Amino acid sequence: MLKTQILLYASMICLPFVLGAFAAETERRTVIYDNRTTEVAPPPANLSTDDLWVTLADLKRATGFVIKPQGVCRDELCFPVPKARRSAFLFKQRTTTWFNLSEFARLLRQPTAREKELWYFGPRPDEQNAFIGSFIAPDFKLPDMNGKQHSLSDFRGKKVLLVTWASW
Amino acid sequence: MKDKNFEIVSIAEDTGGVKDAGKWIEAAKPEYTVLIDTQHLVTRLYDMVNVPTAVWIDEKGRIVRPNEVAYVDNRYKGMHGIEASEYLDALRDWAANGEKSVFALSEKQLKERLAPQNPDWALASAEFALAEHLYRTGQSEASIRHYKEAQRLNPESWNYKRQAWALSDAERDYGTSFMKEVQKLNGKPYYSPRRLPEVKKPK
Repeated sequence: MLKTQILLYASMICLPFVLGAFAAETERRTVIYDNRTTEVAPPPANLSTDDLWVTLADLKRATGFVIKPQGVCRDELCFPVPKARRSAFLFKQRTTTWFNLSEFARLLRQPTAREKELWYFGPRPDEQNAFIGSFIAPDFKLPDMNGKQHSLSDFRGKKVLLVTWASW
Repeated sequence: MKDKNFEIVSIAEDTGGVKDAGKWIEAAKPEYTVLIDTQHLVTRLYDMVNVPTAVWIDEKGRIVRPNEVAYVDNRYKGMHGIEASEYLDALRDWAANGEKSVFALSEKQLKERLAPQNPDWALASAEFALAEHLYRTGQSEASIRHYKEAQRLNPESWNYKRQAWALSDAERDYGTSFMKEVQKLNGKPYYSPRRLPEVKKPK
């Protein structure tokens, strides 16, 4: 009898933890932004799961953007939030403010792709197309076969034939 | 051509990284820089659709000739019919003469050849990047769906097709193969034709 009671109490104590762990596992969200991968917290139940809502802390961790009076900003860059549609971007619940990163991507015309709780955000068109106006070859940093990193900009002062190939 | 302050930077667009590209690099024993681009970053940055694609970049980091097919030997000429020697001659001319070379494009010519990325291609690029991440993290089945979406959104890209096919059983997962797709072209060139100015050869 005592054994049964102990088991019963034990299961009552453990059950919430087990359920909690299960929920965290199924709702774990991953964001790829500027080629950087970050895990973010799942949103409260009353926010749509069709869009990616993140806390302001996660917004900063995943994208570097922060909310300022003048808009959504990173370094010198600031994108004003359309006043009439502020609620589409920001949602306050108790002490936490949530930001709709999907709506922000639509505003900036960023291409996005999604597989369940893995969310990919591509470059804004003005980033992607910068070289069309400036003719400056987009810089990148990649490893050689030994893992040593090289940047295109390391070759400044020389003429460069940049050529791609593949094993396939 | 090193003495003319000229460098080749060769980029392997291979999700498989050293595992797939390594043996080719070892076999070539190149004297130039070879980098490995597992995430197809250069393809995305320069909006490329095939290999080999080359870009000429001057001393100041400015584009001199944007994306064009760049065979430097005649190994696969039987398939695509592109003669390498004209291209090599053009390269040598530019290496020697810089901006005075007839092959260095003017700003006007550059503007004609460069266009902002088509929004569908931008989406395709996002789908491809997501697929690549899924594949790399062991989610092959999910990756196939997104590779297919990338291929649908940017049907011009051979990179999206051939890389995806190479990572799986193309017949089983995509219902096709590289040779079948080449046959479907039915005489249409596999590469966009190169536009080099005609140069009179000294007799």
